[in-house]
Amino acid sequence: MSLLYDTWYLFVRALTKLIRTPILLFFSLLQPIIFLLLFTQLFSKIAAAFPSFGGVSYLAFATPGILLQNAFSSSLQSGTSIVDDLNLGYVQKFLVTPVNRSAILLGRLCCDAFRVVAQSLIILVLAYLLGFSFTTEVPGILAAFFLIAYFGFAWSGISLTIGLTTRSAETVFGLGGILTFPLLFMSTALVPAKGFMPNWMVTVSSYNPISYTVNAVRDLALKGFVFGDIASALLVITGIALVTQAATLYKFRKIVS
Amino acid sequence: MPDIIDVKDLVLVYGDGTKAVDGISFQVQENEFFGFLGPNGAGKSTTIKVLTTLLRKTSGSVAIAGNDINSDSAKIRKMIGVQSQETVVDLDLTARENMMLQGHLHQMRGDALKKRVDELLALVDLTDVADKRASSFSGGMKKRLDLATTLVHGPRLIFLDEPTTGLDPQSRAAVWQYLEKLNKEGVTVFLTTQYMEEADKLCKRLSIIDHGKIVANGTPSELKREIGTDTITLKIEESGLEGQSARAKELLQQTKGITEVLSSDDGLTAYAKDAGFIVADIVRSFDASGIKIASIGVSSPSLDDVFLHHTGRRIRPEEAGQKPAGRTRFGARRPTRQ
Ligand SMILES: Nc1ncnc2c1ncn2[C@@H]1O[C@H](COP(=O)(O)OP(=O)(O)OP(=O)(O)O)[C@@H](O)[C@H]1O
Ligand SMILES: [Mg+2]
Repeated sequence: MSLLYDTWYLFVRALTKLIRTPILLFFSLLQPIIFLLLFTQLFSKIAAAFPSFGGVSYLAFATPGILLQNAFSSSLQSGTSIVDDLNLGYVQKFLVTPVNRSAILLGRLCCDAFRVVAQSLIILVLAYLLGFSFTTEVPGILAAFFLIAYFGFAWSGISLTIGLTTRSAETVFGLGGILTFPLLFMSTALVPAKGFMPNWMVTVSSYNPISYTVNAVRDLALKGFVFGDIASALLVITGIALVTQAATLYKFRKIVS
Repeated sequence: MPDIIDVKDLVLVYGDGTKAVDGISFQVQENEFFGFLGPNGAGKSTTIKVLTTLLRKTSGSVAIAGNDINSDSAKIRKMIGVQSQETVVDLDLTARENMMLQGHLHQMRGDALKKRVDELLALVDLTDVADKRASSFSGGMKKRLDLATTLVHGPRLIFLDEPTTGLDPQSRAAVWQYLEKLNKEGVTVFLTTQYMEEADKLCKRLSIIDHGKIVANGTPSELKREIGTDTITLKIEESGLEGQSARAKELLQQTKGITEVLSSDDGLTAYAKDAGFIVADIVRSFDASGIKIASIGVSSPSLDDVFLHHTGRRIRPEEAGQKPAGRTRFGARRPTRQ
């Protein structure tokens, strides 16, 4: 019981803080929105010229990728908030109360998930205005959002672990910068692999966990429920989540005990 | 009545090998106002962190109201309030939100919590700014809010780590008032401070800690009596005669009962037990030698002298006051585990 209540109150706190620092939300939305407005124009003819895009517009092809990109880069920032909470003494102040220990972490994770979903919704509305749509409609969108949030949760474990270990927001940010571009561009988020990328990159992208999730979300948007793709995406995400969140839990336990 | 704090042979060694607390023992009774004095780096904050379950002791035993610090920490957290040395209020939240959150984490709900929050905000004079974000508050307001958040759940025992450092004299006097009021209502207070005046005024009993060890224990007046020496300050009238002040110093040194004489720009300072009786002797011998006394005064030892006596250092309020009152970073290092 106390776990539920405490998580709720700490979630509300984190969310309130987030909403009151709109500049943070603005900057993290800026990149995906620029991608959406600019790239869809820039590459519109390429999509028509290359059959590997599957004969859809670049907007239709790239929107799932941009949703994932947004989830990826926001999740890599979630460690910075816990670094602040530690370095400014908030965690210590929570720890001298009878608060459920796990709620400190769960409240944070719930806020991160909420943020990813809210940002995805904004991006999706914008994409719809530009002419994008989900063939699977509301059930597909819900499924896609679940995948996106789960994906964000899995990756946030990396930045949380780094944050809890180094207690340095700069390191967490730096890591986000280093990981984002190579992983994103060597995936099927923004372009197809076969028939577009050089061979070595096709190989890299076929191992890239981002590709799995993008493919599943893209299927939901363009084809329908392709259960094989959704299952492999879930499997890959679960694998990542197990490793990163176990590391986070380990680091977090060390601090609270 | 049983002791609310019972510490025996407590040792805390940090991960880097720093022995911050080196075998201290002390007891605090229910409803006592207890002071913990020490210079920078003495181990005051470290002790508080152990007593409030934030750091795991290396060895020794700690019991809070009969509960063991390791096995009953959950029980302990329900009955204590802690204000850390670094001011910790959430700057993005309003004063009221800060208070409500703290109450919620203590499992308080509904109208009872709301009423309590209003009461406490009034107590620390923040009612007018209750719905303003703490980022707009002055250092003193943040400290007062921090204090109020530690009281939401009505703790029996509060730990305050230098709650008045960096405050202006008015705010400090206000905090003293709240603390005295709380103590009258039955709350036990464990206070660390670098202000001797504060300890003297508030604390019924205190311990002085230096280099991780307790060097003195007792009520302020006991401690002062223990070092036992009064201070005599004396000024002679300028007569223009050579060697007068040297002669005066000599006379003082010859006076029975005086243990030490120091001369400075503004006169002579002598130390003696029961100086009141000696003053007459001094006046007589100066008269006989024809040296005119401009002024003579006797003062009993201050807590400052006690501190100096035990630690070899003097804590000056202006020195303590320079420490930042705002957000300071918490140490990134953690202690070794058992
Ligand atoms: N996290 C830490 N890791 C290693 N050593 C530490 C840590 N925190 C404090 N110390 C050391 O332990 C000793 C006691 O520190 P502590 O903070 O308890 O002193 P204090 O009496 O509170 O001093 P102050 O008046 O400056 O607040 C100091 O030598 C300090 O450098
Ligand atoms: Mg300290």
